[in-house]
Amino acid sequence: MSDQAILRIEAVEKRFGAVRAVDGVSLEVGRREFFALLGPSGSGKTTLLRIVSGLEAPDRGRVEIGGTDVTRLPPYLRRIGMVFQDFLLFPHRTVAENITFPLKMQGRNAAEREEQLDWILGFVRMEGLGDRFPHQLSGGQKQRVALARGLVSRPELLLLDEPLANLDRELRKEMEIEVRRYQEELGIPFVYVTHNQEEALTMSDRMAVMHQGVLEQIGPKLEVYNAPATRFVASFVGAPNKLSGRVIEGEGERLRIDWGGITLIGRSVGDARQGDRAEIYLKSERIALSASADGIHHENRIEGTVRDIIFKGQFADYIVRADNEAELVVSGPPSIAGVDRGSRVNLGWAVEAADVFLAADDEP
Amino acid sequence: MKGRRALLLDPRVRFATLVGPGALFIVLFLLIPLLSIVVFSFWRTESYELISDWNVNNYEAVLGEWIYLKFLLKSLAMAAAVSAICLVYAWPCAYLIAKHGGRYKLVLVLLTAAPFLTGILLRITAMQQILGPIGLVNMALMELGAQPIQVLMYTNIASAVGLIYLWIPFMLLAIYLSLFNFNFELLEVAKVNGARPWRAFFEVTWPLNWMGTAIGIVLVFIPTFAASVTPRFLGGPDGSMFVNRLEHQFGSAGTWALGSAMGVVMCVASLAVIFVLWRTVRLRRAGFTGAGA
Repeated sequence: MSDQAILRIEAVEKRFGAVRAVDGVSLEVGRREFFALLGPSGSGKTTLLRIVSGLEAPDRGRVEIGGTDVTRLPPYLRRIGMVFQDFLLFPHRTVAENITFPLKMQGRNAAEREEQLDWILGFVRMEGLGDRFPHQLSGGQKQRVALARGLVSRPELLLLDEPLANLDRELRKEMEIEVRRYQEELGIPFVYVTHNQEEALTMSDRMAVMHQGVLEQIGPKLEVYNAPATRFVASFVGAPNKLSGRVIEGEGERLRIDWGGITLIGRSVGDARQGDRAEIYLKSERIALSASADGIHHENRIEGTVRDIIFKGQFADYIVRADNEAELVVSGPPSIAGVDRGSRVNLGWAVEAADVFLAADDEP
Repeated sequence: MKGRRALLLDPRVRFATLVGPGALFIVLFLLIPLLSIVVFSFWRTESYELISDWNVNNYEAVLGEWIYLKFLLKSLAMAAAVSAICLVYAWPCAYLIAKHGGRYKLVLVLLTAAPFLTGILLRITAMQQILGPIGLVNMALMELGAQPIQVLMYTNIASAVGLIYLWIPFMLLAIYLSLFNFNFELLEVAKVNGARPWRAFFEVTWPLNWMGTAIGIVLVFIPTFAASVTPRFLGGPDGSMFVNRLEHQFGSAGTWALGSAMGVVMCVASLAVIFVLWRTVRLRRAGFTGAGA
C-alpha cells in the first residue's frame, strides 16, 4: 500500500484562531482508489481537502502527491482536479470552454483540446451541449460539466467537495452511479468529501470518518460500517439504536450488560469495565424479528410488542417496545407473517452486532 | 362612488397617473431644451440674435477649423487620460476593499467618497493648497532641499490631477459594486485548474467585472469631457477646454448658434463613447444570467 500511495498526508494540522480544524491527520490514498472522507459539518473534512488542493496551507505536517512533497506548492502546480459543491462553473464561458480550461492553462494546443473535449463530452454523456452557457443547464448537467472539467486533463488525483449535496434525491442516486463509473473507468484516485454516509457507502472503496478535526476510523467501508472503532463512528454511521445500560461482568471482548432489567451480551469496543455505565449501539437491520420464538437463533433474545410499523417501500421500520419499556427500531421486510401493530414478537441479534462503549459522561 | 373606484382601478388610468408626472418633467426640462439646441445649431447668430436661417456653417466651423477642433481633441484626450488613470488607480483599491475589507467594506468605500461631502469649489481650493506655488507639494520639496516644481499649478497637468481626484470615487464605486457581486471562489477554481494568479485574473476576474468597469469608465469619461470649473481654476492660461470655449459662445461672444452646434457635437461624441463601450460588453459573456437563451 505504501509504495502504491498517490496521496500521503502526514500529521497535518490547521488551526483557525482557537479552533483546531484539522488536528494531526495522517492518511494514505492508493492508486485507482475511491476514498471517502465522511464527517458531519464542521468536522474539518473540507479544510483537509483544501489543504490537499493547496488552497489552504497547513500549520504543520506534510502532503505528498505522487511521491512529491507538495506541502508548499501553490494549487496551480499540483496537477490535481477538483469538483466543488456549488459547481462553480465560469458563468462567462461555454460548457466547452469551461471543460477545456485546465488544458488551456497547461498550454495544450487547440487540436488537442478539441480531441479531449469530444472524448470527455461523450464520457459524461453531454454530447451536443458544448456551446451552451452554464445558466442554460440543469443542476445535474452543471455537475457533469464540473466533473468533466476536473477529469479532462487526467489529473493524478481528483478531489470532490460534497459534489452532490446540491442535487435532489433522485438525481443524486443517478449521479452516485455515474461518479463511481467515472472513477472505475478512468482509474484516477478520487478523494470524496461528504457528510452523507449513503454516498460514502455507495461509492467508496475505503473511507475515513472525521470528527472535530480528528480521524476517528479509517478502513474498508464494510469494516467501518460493521465494526465501528469509536463511539462517534458507531453513532454516526448507520442509523443505530442506542441502548443505555451498566456492565455486569465481562472479560475480553464479551460483556454482559444490564439494560433496564434485561441482560444482554455485547462486543466490547471501548474500555468499559464491570460497573461502568455503557452505551450499546445496535444497527436496526441487524436485529432479527419473528412472530415465534423458533425464528430466533441468536445469543441475545428479547420479547416485545410492536407499537408501530413505518412502511418505507422496499422495507419497513418496526418500532418495538421491549418489556423494560425501552423502544427499538428494527428494519425488516415490508410485511412479516403474523406481525402487526400490537403483536407480541421475538427479537434477536448476534453478540458482534452490539458494540459496547463506555457511556459519554463516564469517559476520563 | 363606485364609478370613481372603477376608474382608479383601470390599468390605463393607473399607468398614466404613475408615469405622467415624470414623463412631463422629462419632456419639459430635458427634451424641449435639447431639441431647441439641435434646432439652434442649424441657425445663425447676428448681433446677439438668433436668426432661423437654416445652414450647416456652424458644424463646418466646429469640425473644420483648427481653433475649435483643437479643443475638441484636447478635451477627448484629457477625458481618455483621466479615465485611464482612474481605472488603473481604482481597480486595486476596489479589489482590496471588496476582498479583504471584511466588515469595514462599506466604511472604506464611503471614505473614498468623503470629498463629495464638500462642494466642488472647496475641493478645487484644496487642490490649490496642495499643488500651488507655495502649496504642500512644493513646500515639502523645499523643506527637503529640492527645487520646487514650477509647472505644478495652473497647467493642464494640474487640471488632470484635479479631475482625477474629483472623479475617482465614481470609478471606484462602480468597480467595487461589480466585485461585491463577484464570486471570488471562481478564482480558486481557476488556480486549482492550473491558472497562475495573473492568468486567473485575466481569465476570470477581469471579464466578469468588465461591465462594472465599463460603467465606471463612462461615469468618469463623460463628466471629465464636460468639465469646465476644474480646468478654469486649475488649468491656468492654457487650461481652456472645449467646454470653456462652448461657454464663451453663450457668454461674451454671443454666438448661440455656434455654441449650440458645439453642444450637439459634445453630445454625439459622448454617445459615441458610450456606444463603443457598450459594444464591448457582451451580456452572456459578462456572466449575466438574465440575458435569456
